[in-house]
Amino acid sequence: MVKYSITRLLQSAVTVLIVATIVFLLMRALPTDYFFTEEEVMKLTEQQKQDRLEAAGLNDPVAQQLLRFYKELLHGDLGKSRRIRVDKPVIEIIQERFPVSMKLGLISLGISLVLGIALGILQVLNKEGPLDHLGMIYTIFVNAVPPLVTYSLVLMFGAKVLDLPSMFSKRNELQSSIMPVVCLSLSSIAHYAMWTRRYMVDELNKDYLRLCRVKGMPTKDIMIKHVLKNAFVPLIAYIPASILFTIGGSLLVERFFGIPGMGPLLVDSIGRYDTPLVQGLVVLYASMSVIGVFLGDVMMTVMDPRIKLTGKGDTR
Amino acid sequence: MASKQDELFRFVEYSPENAERIGYSNYSYWRSVMQNFLKRKSAVFMLFVFVGLVIFSFIALAIGKYDWATLVTNTDLAFHKPDGEYWFGCDNLGRDYWCQVWYSMQTSVKLAALVGGGECVLGIVIGCLWGYVRWLDRPITELYNIINNVPMIIYLTLIALIFRGLSFPVMCITLIAFGWLVMARNVRNLVFMYRDREYNLASRCLGTPISRVLVKNIFPYLISVIVLRLALSIPGTISLETTLSYLGLGLGIDTPSLGILLRNARNYFVDYPYLLVFPAVVVALITITFYLLGNAFSDASDPRNHV
Repeated sequence: MVKYSITRLLQSAVTVLIVATIVFLLMRALPTDYFFTEEEVMKLTEQQKQDRLEAAGLNDPVAQQLLRFYKELLHGDLGKSRRIRVDKPVIEIIQERFPVSMKLGLISLGISLVLGIALGILQVLNKEGPLDHLGMIYTIFVNAVPPLVTYSLVLMFGAKVLDLPSMFSKRNELQSSIMPVVCLSLSSIAHYAMWTRRYMVDELNKDYLRLCRVKGMPTKDIMIKHVLKNAFVPLIAYIPASILFTIGGSLLVERFFGIPGMGPLLVDSIGRYDTPLVQGLVVLYASMSVIGVFLGDVMMTVMDPRIKLTGKGDTR
Repeated sequence: MASKQDELFRFVEYSPENAERIGYSNYSYWRSVMQNFLKRKSAVFMLFVFVGLVIFSFIALAIGKYDWATLVTNTDLAFHKPDGEYWFGCDNLGRDYWCQVWYSMQTSVKLAALVGGGECVLGIVIGCLWGYVRWLDRPITELYNIINNVPMIIYLTLIALIFRGLSFPVMCITLIAFGWLVMARNVRNLVFMYRDREYNLASRCLGTPISRVLVKNIFPYLISVIVLRLALSIPGTISLETTLSYLGLGLGIDTPSLGILLRNARNYFVDYPYLLVFPAVVVALITITFYLLGNAFSDASDPRNHV
C-alpha cells in the first residue's frame, strides 16, 4: 500500500510535469501580439516591441525558456505575473482569488452532496413512483440543456421573482452569492442523485438482501445499514476529485455572475500572454486533479477493506 | 378419457423433409433493434419531435421575413416586442430575432452532429486498438491521463487564441480532438471485457481474422454504449459551444450561435424575458428529445435485451 502510494505519487508528478510542458509549448505557439495591450500594439514600433519581449526573456530559444521554467518550478517559485497584475508574485494572486472560489465551491458542494444523496435515496425508496420520475426528469433536464441556458433561467427567475442582485459584489456578498451557488449546485445535485440511485439499485439486486428480508430485518435497517453503506463506496471515489474541481471554481458561473474567482483568471491570463501565471495555474489544476483521483482511490480502500490497491493497469 | 387422449396425441406419418429440417431462426440484429425501438411509443414520438424541429428550422428560415445575412442594426426597433412582423421580436440592436434563433439552432445541430460523428469514429478506432492490442494499452492510457488531467478549457482557450477565434471547421476539429476520450474509454473497457471470452478464443483458434472478430463478435455489444455516449455527446457539444462562445473563445460574431445570442442578451433577460425564452425553449426541446431518443435507442440496441 505504502509502496504503491509512493509509485503512484511519483507517476502523478511526472504527469503534472508533462502537462505543464505541453501547455508551456502551446503558450509559445501563441502570437506574441497578445503580450501587448491593443493600444501598445498600435503605438509601439517593432524595435520597442522586440526590446520588451527581450527584457521578459521571451525571445530566448524555447529550450532555454523551458529549462528556466523547470528550474524555477523545482525551487517552488512560480514567478511573477507579467500582465494581469504587473510584478505581483503568482502565488499571491492565486492566494487572493482562491478563497473566493473556494467559499462558493465548498458551500455548493455541501448543498449538492446532502440534497443529491437525499434525492437519490428518495428515488430508490419510491422506485418507479412519481418522485422517482420527477427526479429523473430533473436529471435529464440538467444533463441535456446547456448550462448557459439553465443559468440564464436561474438568473431571470432570481432577479425577477426574488429580486436578487444579478451580479456578484463584495459589498452584498450574502445575497449576491445565492444565485451563483444555486447554479453551481444544480448539476452536481443531479449527478450525485443519479449515481446514488444507480449504485443503490445495483446493490438492491444482490442476493444477500434476500437473506436480510427472510430473517425479518426491517426495510429501514436494510436500506441504511446495507444498501446505502455499500452504495457509498463507489460514490466516495468521486468526492475528492469533485471537491478539488469545485474549489477550482467554475469558469462559466464565475464569468456569468462576474465573480472575481479562479476561472476568469485563467482565461484572462492566457488571453494576455501572462505566461508565468498560466503555468502556475496549470500546475495547480493538474496537481489538484491528480491528487483528487489518488485520494478517491485511497478513500475507497479505507471504506471497503475488500478493495486493494495493486496498481495493475486500470483507467479509473 | 380415451377419446381425449386420442385428440391430443396422434401418430404422424414419416416425412423425409421434416426429418431433415433444422432449427432456424431468422434473427437479424438490426431488425430486432428496430422492433424494440418502435415498441417504445414515447421514443418514436421524440424522434418525430426532433426530426420535425430540425426540418422546421429550414422552413422557419424560408418563411421568415428577414434573412440573417442581410440583417441591419436599427436602434428604433430595439427590444421590439414579438408581433406579426417580428415573430420573435427584435434584439437589443433591433435585429429580427426569429431568423437569428433558428439559424443559431441549425449551427448548433450541425456542429453537434459533425463532432458527434467524428468522436464516434475516432473513439471507436482508438478504443478498439486500446482494448485489443496489448502493447498499446500503456501508451494510450498515459495519453488519456495527460489530456484528461487538465480542465479541457485550458487547451481550448490556448487553441482558440492561437487560431484567433475558432472558425466553424477549426472548432469541429478541436472538439473532436478532445472529445474522443470518453468514447474511447468506454469502448476500450468493453473490448477488454469481451476480448478473451471463450467464443472469441474459439474464433481466433479457428483462424477468424481479427477484423471479423471485432466487427462481428464484439461490435454488437458496443453499439448500445456507443449510442448512449452519442446521446450524451450531442447535448454536450451544444453546451460546450454555447459556453465557449459565451466566453468569447468560440465561434466569431459573424456566425450566429446560441452562445453569442445569449451573450448579447445576458443583460436584458430580466426586462425582456422573450430574448431568453425563445432560444431556451428551442434548444431545450432539441437537446432533451435527442437525449431521450438516444437512451431509448441504446436500450433497443443492446443484444441482451433481444428475445
